[in-house]
Amino acid sequence: MDRTSRRGFLGVAGAGAAALGVAALDPEVLTGTFRTSPRPAPLPADSTGAFVAYVQDATTGEVVIMTGEREVVVRDRDLAARIARAGASRTAV
Amino acid sequence: MSSHREAPEIAKDPVADNTDVYAFVSPDRPDTVTLIANYIPLEYPAGGPNFYEFGDDVLYEIHVSNTGDAVPDVTYQFRFRTEIRNPDSFLYNTGPITAIDDATWNRPQFYSVTRVDRSGRSTRLGQDLKVPPVNIGPRSTPHYAATFTAAAVHNLGNNSQVFAGQRAEGFFVDLGSIFDLGTLRPFQHLHLIPSADAVGVNGTQGFNVHTIAVQVPKADLTHDGSSPTDPMNPAAVMGVWASASRQRVRILGTGSVADDEQGPFTQVSRLGNPLFNEVIVPMGDKDRWNRLQPADDQQFAKYVLNPELARLLPVLYPGVFPHLAAYDKPRNDLEAILLTGIPAGVVPDFQNNTGPHPADMLRLNVAISPTPAAHTNPLGLIGGDAAGFPNGRRVFDDVVTVELRAIAGATIALVDPSFTPDGAATAITDGTSNTNAPYLERFPYLGTPAGGYQTRPPVPAT
Repeated sequence: MDRTSRRGFLGVAGAGAAALGVAALDPEVLTGTFRTSPRPAPLPADSTGAFVAYVQDATTGEVVIMTGEREVVVRDRDLAARIARAGASRTAV
Repeated sequence: MSSHREAPEIAKDPVADNTDVYAFVSPDRPDTVTLIANYIPLEYPAGGPNFYEFGDDVLYEIHVSNTGDAVPDVTYQFRFRTEIRNPDSFLYNTGPITAIDDATWNRPQFYSVTRVDRSGRSTRLGQDLKVPPVNIGPRSTPHYAATFTAAAVHNLGNNSQVFAGQRAEGFFVDLGSIFDLGTLRPFQHLHLIPSADAVGVNGTQGFNVHTIAVQVPKADLTHDGSSPTDPMNPAAVMGVWASASRQRVRILGTGSVADDEQGPFTQVSRLGNPLFNEVIVPMGDKDRWNRLQPADDQQFAKYVLNPELARLLPVLYPGVFPHLAAYDKPRNDLEAILLTGIPAGVVPDFQNNTGPHPADMLRLNVAISPTPAAHTNPLGLIGGDAAGFPNGRRVFDDVVTVELRAIAGATIALVDPSFTPDGAATAITDGTSNTNAPYLERFPYLGTPAGGYQTRPPVPAT
């Protein structure tokens, strides 16, 4: 696929298809080493144990984080986008 | 049914499914109120080897609103914990269970009770309280009533007590008939699709439920901490409902990793008045109704003011309900009974009105004294017994007949004197009688659960 035809494909496809298309071309995904940042941010204290991050619609940037019986809602478009991109990448793999 | 399997989603989650709620001034301790919430519909007594139990992952609650806004002012929360004593046995019991703490019971349950007030202040009333086993049979749970009932009633102090465990179903209704296109035995010959008349059948006979019951002083529930004696005192009225909630997320385990739950509890079931979600709320709104609070019920008032069942009765029984068929005004009688309470001036010396805010709650006027046993009427208020439904609800109240008659138009004249009820409206029943296990005269009032060995399954017929 040359540059012109690839640009055309991305232009007419929906957001999900576009994400899959990008993921398929991501060299980190191809090698199974997808990373979200070069250096991970430090974890808060007592970060062991499971929690859930729920993104109902990444375009709003709203991420619901549930841990134990608590629920925190954050608005972070970058965080939501990175989670969405990671999810799409894993799907592509 | 009252609220057994009444909505599509909760019908798939019986451990969290509210089936009935009762609220009444305790007949044997009239300074107290008894609140009962039943869960797990239609427990077949022989349903082992993994018999019925409360959910460790469910938050069970009984709510009381005493300020007219349908927001809980007092909530009793119940959380359960299950132990496995012998993980190497498949048995529910490894021998006769001769006491509530017998080591032969392989899956004992324990629970805590917490009182939460409107400000969010929590008070732990009890913990590690024992749940009785289910009634399996004479070898596994011998002398069930004598061994387990009193042992499972726990004193909470302050003239309060609590029970949680299996009980006999107290609600009675002809399920097979009413769900077969609204057939009302013994009036089948009048149905649009007629058949020979036959006597009613109690469809819940012989089944059990899981009961949470708490008995507390009236003053613990009224907004001013009083024990009102004047029925016309607005402070004497409170709204009651029960609910079940689950944490928002459940992650199913894989391999040896166990399931996990995360997030705050969110309501999956609720119940105030019997049959509200069942026959008033349409299919498309039932699951949503279960997620909402009584304070949100204004949006469902349209279903009360123009109920589908009232439109169906004249169709299903041609010529039997001509006055009901012609009545085209909003059903303000049903709004009063189900959503606001009955205001003063409708029934002499009685009111259980909580103000204009429409909400599905059982409304109890605690200043109405219990009716002596010899004079009770299962038809409650419409039978001249103001201590019964819809003034709260006692375990023996015939709420199916009361609500059928109300929907059929028997109560319209209370708010619209120009209306004359059809003769059938004051005679209509579902044709059944109360053949459940006998009720108890004391807490927890619901009868001894049917035993698995002793109870015969229904007889199939096609």
